[in-house]
Amino acid sequence: MGQDEHSRQRDVILDSVNEGVFTVGPDFHITAFNRAAERITGISRQEAIGKACCDVFHASICERECALRRTFHTGRPVFNATAQIINNQGQRVPIRISTAILKDDRGSVIGGVESFQDLSQVEQLQKELESRYTFEDIVGRSNAMMQLFKMLPQVADSASTVLIEGASGTGKELFARAIHNLSPRRRRRFVAVNCAALPDTLLESELFGHKAGAFTDARRDKTGRFEWADGGTIFLDEIGDISPAMQVRLLRVLQDHMVEPLGTLQPKAVDIRVVAATNKDLAQLVRAGNFREDLYYRIRVIHMLLPPLKDRREDIPLLIDHLVGKFNRLQGKDIAGVSGDVAARLMTYDFPGNVRELENIIEQAFVLCRGGIIELRHLPPELRALGATGLTPSGSMNLNAMEKHFIAESLRICQGNRKKAAKELGIDVATLYRKIKAHAIEVPEADGRGRRR
Amino acid sequence: MIGPEGAIIKVAFATWNNRIAPQFDAAGHVCLVETKMGAIIHAHLEAFRTKLPVKKVCRLVELGVDTLVCGAISRPVQALVEAQGIRVVALVAGELSEVINAWIKGGLDESHFTMPGSRDTEW
Repeated sequence: MGQDEHSRQRDVILDSVNEGVFTVGPDFHITAFNRAAERITGISRQEAIGKACCDVFHASICERECALRRTFHTGRPVFNATAQIINNQGQRVPIRISTAILKDDRGSVIGGVESFQDLSQVEQLQKELESRYTFEDIVGRSNAMMQLFKMLPQVADSASTVLIEGASGTGKELFARAIHNLSPRRRRRFVAVNCAALPDTLLESELFGHKAGAFTDARRDKTGRFEWADGGTIFLDEIGDISPAMQVRLLRVLQDHMVEPLGTLQPKAVDIRVVAATNKDLAQLVRAGNFREDLYYRIRVIHMLLPPLKDRREDIPLLIDHLVGKFNRLQGKDIAGVSGDVAARLMTYDFPGNVRELENIIEQAFVLCRGGIIELRHLPPELRALGATGLTPSGSMNLNAMEKHFIAESLRICQGNRKKAAKELGIDVATLYRKIKAHAIEVPEADGRGRRR
Repeated sequence: MIGPEGAIIKVAFATWNNRIAPQFDAAGHVCLVETKMGAIIHAHLEAFRTKLPVKKVCRLVELGVDTLVCGAISRPVQALVEAQGIRVVALVAGELSEVINAWIKGGLDESHFTMPGSRDTEW
């Protein structure tokens, strides 16, 4: 068999394998590169052959822990080492690697072989399950985002309290997690608490913990979230919604770094970093006398203001790419992206629900789109309509827009009280919540529970 | 690469094994080169004392780096570096001394200093 025929047969065999496979000579230059390797790295076989494997593979282990070098030195294969490569799009791809020595008929070493498996899908699923989002999940190159990126390393490095302000869906928790994951506290816990989700008494017990017998039903000791976060970071979401009494207790924690579980007089020292967030204008709450000024200044040592998506429209294409990639990995699909019409429509939409709304739109499109690219017909009805205003060509309002209008109007009349509004509309509260979310309706703040959708 | 007259330009070349390091995110060293009027006035090797890319970015800022020349770099880390006002020249490959010389002469665009797969990409 000629050399060319031999190479052709070898390539056919390697291409039939679903894992990335490449071979190198003793000089670590690539001699074979299969189709899966092309797919995972984004580099063609033609470009890869003859190049140093580190310049093609650029893995996190190339410098210090090269699996192939270890195999050459020890003569033993490596199984299931993990690493991260950066593909030709600048995306970090987690992989699992195995290596082996290649020998000729006489037993002389002629090179090595490395196979690798793309673990992106597994990592994405783990992220979803554990909400393990990092700085890498914050997408944007706009000026507004670059200003935030500029301060992020220094913010992460310091121990100061941070206040993150921004409308719902702008990614406040994502930033809080990024600060934690980039900080020296990253190996300890990140504990998130939604201050608006619990009534005052429950929130107190949740944050500070309690001793058995502290109150009715307190049958055993409970560790509070502050203590749970000791050494790490506590994220207090919707801080603008806490009661005056809770504001005083929180102020004491920030001043003294001590917590006092309910039912005990023995305070405990805690080493925590506090990152607080709100979708309200906290300074305005201070001026209105609804938020303590001393607490405000304790919290607002570092201030980050997250821009609404409509103020950074140039990030929308990047966000679409990111979300399409994410849902492809999560749902095992291979959707290439969005059509020009869809991109144009999304670029002009105001996104009252910000990035979360864009994410919901793409997720819905993934349900309706079986393959290829996302078209206008896969978008929610209100975005399919011309101008996305809810008006039909005749100028009348469509059913969907009418429903949104009625709900928003009822909520306004009931001053944001969802229970009253649901009664007014003749639907149950759960249905109202679902429709508020579906229509991305901004609920008036007059009920004191914060603006939500 | 000649800067404004009299200005000192600091360029960090991510390096490993006398070559450009394959991945900046995992790089252990940078070769810091200071140039003035297109001539090298000072060069030294700087070891990162951290594995965290964000700390490396902070170090580049402390060192007053104007430009980072590196191999592959993940998008988020590149955004972080650029947000600090540091220019990034990514996907560069080759022997360190050759890359530095090419940089001084403005010839880094030549294909043999480019990593495979970078032709179609805009990082």
